[in-house]
Amino acid sequence: MKALSLEGLGHSFGERRVLNSVSFSVAEGGMCILLGRNGAGKTTLFSLVTGLYHARSGQIDVFGHSMRTDPAAALAQMGVVFQQQTLDLDLTAAENLRYHASLHGLAAGTSETRLHEELERLEVLDRCDEPVRSLSGGQRRRVEIARALMHRPRILLLDEPTTGLDVPGRRAIEQHVRALCRERGIAVVWATHFLEEVSADDDLVVLHKGRLRWAGGAGRVATDLAVASVADAFDVLTDAV
Amino acid sequence: MQVVIAFLLSLFILSRPATAETIYVSNEQDNTVAVVDGASMSLSTTIDVGRRPRGMALSVDKKRLFVAVGDDNRIDVVDLGNRQVTGQLPSGTDPEFFVVHPDGKRLFVANENDNLVSVVDIESAKVIGTIDVGVEPEGMAVSADGRYVACTSETTSMVHLIDAGTFELVDNLLVDTRPRAAAFSPDGKQLWVSSEIRGTVTVFDTTSRAETGKIQFEVPGIRREGVQAVGMEMARDGATAYVALGPANRVAEVDTKTLAVRRLYLVGQRPWHVVLSDDQKRLVSANGNSGDISFIDLENEEVVKSVPVGRGPWGVVIGP
Amino acid sequence: MRKRHAMRALTGILHREMLRTLRQRGRLLSAIVRPLVWLAIFAAGFRSVLGLSITPPYQTYVLYEVYVVPGLAAMMLLFHAMASSLAMVYDREMGSMRLLLTAPLPRWYLLAARLLASVIVGLPLVYLFLLIARHWDVRPPVLGYLAVFPALVLSGLMLGAFGLLVSSISTQMENFAGVMNFVIFPTFFASTALYPIWRLAEAGPVLAMIAAWNPFSSAVELIRFTLYLNFDPVSALVVLACFVVFFLAAVVGYDPGRGLWSRRGGDG
Repeated sequence: MKALSLEGLGHSFGERRVLNSVSFSVAEGGMCILLGRNGAGKTTLFSLVTGLYHARSGQIDVFGHSMRTDPAAALAQMGVVFQQQTLDLDLTAAENLRYHASLHGLAAGTSETRLHEELERLEVLDRCDEPVRSLSGGQRRRVEIARALMHRPRILLLDEPTTGLDVPGRRAIEQHVRALCRERGIAVVWATHFLEEVSADDDLVVLHKGRLRWAGGAGRVATDLAVASVADAFDVLTDAV
Repeated sequence: MQVVIAFLLSLFILSRPATAETIYVSNEQDNTVAVVDGASMSLSTTIDVGRRPRGMALSVDKKRLFVAVGDDNRIDVVDLGNRQVTGQLPSGTDPEFFVVHPDGKRLFVANENDNLVSVVDIESAKVIGTIDVGVEPEGMAVSADGRYVACTSETTSMVHLIDAGTFELVDNLLVDTRPRAAAFSPDGKQLWVSSEIRGTVTVFDTTSRAETGKIQFEVPGIRREGVQAVGMEMARDGATAYVALGPANRVAEVDTKTLAVRRLYLVGQRPWHVVLSDDQKRLVSANGNSGDISFIDLENEEVVKSVPVGRGPWGVVIGP
Repeated sequence: MRKRHAMRALTGILHREMLRTLRQRGRLLSAIVRPLVWLAIFAAGFRSVLGLSITPPYQTYVLYEVYVVPGLAAMMLLFHAMASSLAMVYDREMGSMRLLLTAPLPRWYLLAARLLASVIVGLPLVYLFLLIARHWDVRPPVLGYLAVFPALVLSGLMLGAFGLLVSSISTQMENFAGVMNFVIFPTFFASTALYPIWRLAEAGPVLAMIAAWNPFSSAVELIRFTLYLNFDPVSALVVLACFVVFFLAAVVGYDPGRGLWSRRGGDG
């Protein structure tokens, strides 16, 4: 079964068409990089996949659960880190995680155990009782990832999680997420516009102006397009050359 | 939610004691006496009486109500059993206010226009004596032992002390302008006199007849001349007195020891007279301008209800 | 939707609301000071020293302080509802609203839970105000404080649902400020919160009519009547009906298929 499957997804805001018949899928335990420039439609795609609103056309399934007919089952499988920071700044990291756990119906005991586990894994446990406001950007991101993992999702979606971070911060987040994918078998959808975050083993989806330009192994993209590198391939796919 | 509220409401109603008493109010402009049920605090009926009823008092056995009907120059006697005027007593001209002597046999009536106090024998229905007092006699009081009767004269600004046995003037004391009501303390040692214009109550020692204190009433937000002291009622234990403040729409509760005003109750417009219930737990004021009476729950220190009774409520008494 | 899951979510939402409220000391303080200022200063300026004429549920003459307290309690609910709805617009702009809406529960339930939590969190302050008002000799019967609870909750829900509706259609904070000016103040002033209907009628029959039809007046009267152990079924029905209508409209506003987001893309 596919972790995530999009079938002919289309959406428009009024007259403005933002997604046009996008289809691709993410394998269970797979690492998928969703690459696109600003305005490519990545964030709209995230909104649709997370059920914030319904697509005008097309079908989204998460582990076989339709986003339209059974959103609760689909959302239960999904951990999300939005591009915008969604932590409550006045609350502590632990309180933010507990809130999220309650929304997913976790018992208090389970919630405490996982809270420690996840914050420890992401190396922010020592700051867990401080208001989020006092944490650095990188730390906040890590708290958000820990939060997204509280209900043990089988697929993790991250929308530009490294935006605004310095290079070591970006590297650290990336390493954490790749480790999760490797060690726990969680499927990952990683939306970004940083080419250096693409690794040869990843699945690559390139979105441009609301259309799917490429879906397949990242290692193959350069060869298939007969260019020298992923970066060149990206330029070709996004009409930059 | 409706059920919850209905339930709470029933609790509230059940928690209120049923008071088996009746309030009688003279409606000066309606020529009626309103009968108000004390338990439900609602108007039961009205009894037609003579013209311009004002002062009222119960007979000692509480079976009859005497009503001074000033414009008919007499006192009507209402049988409280069948709630009808069953007799009349002479009173001298224009009776305004009167008291029943504790012996139960005589009335002492202030004749406003004649500057007289008339003594009426109830059984024989005859005026058995008159006492000359100052101009416009108004307030009347009798001491608990029956020895003295006090009468205020509005224009002379005096209180006259009368020997109830000999009908002689014992003393005349100068008081503040336009005295309205007089009241003896239950032990008979003090005489209280209210002044309408000054808005004061003057306290006299009945033995030495010296002024021993004065109460000045003030209502925040109301100018001095808007605060007038009129009707008074003293609690049976002598610890508290209640004073109607006329156009200030208030009844004051006064500590008789310290003469301090403990609190003010907002009642209807222009309360003339006030009366205590037999259990001393509530007070009723007759409000001349708003045509209603106000019930004050003295235990909870709050005005509970105002009930319309007719035009120009003036006197008020409580009976069984 | 599993029951236990739903309860845990409700508890979590309530807990978060409480934590957030407790940490906003300034907002808490102004929420309690605002009605007290009205009571202490505005009420003093309204000359009623000779007593207001008897208006149900009052059975006797009351001072203006007594009259205005239920209206000020309703005002607290109104401001709380609007602050809470402002927080929702803010949450949405800041993104944390998404967290709530991506919880695996029906959206109407999440919105209802958030609404209920907000109302409950606002109530202790209203009670504090009612207690402080005793200092101004506003002393309703003791059981009245109990009886007014469902009235406060229902009124809070109605106003909160209205705030929710406003937050679902105003996409930006600036719009919201406009709403505050054009909705809250007229709602409050053209109601029976500050003046009895006969006093409004003296000012103008149109104003009196607006106040009579203003659902906020119904909330005020519902609170006033229950506080004095009376029940006004008409007000209760109006408040209930308005709550249902506002809430359903808000649910449509947040509906993933029909709401404004899906049409305009509130996420930028």
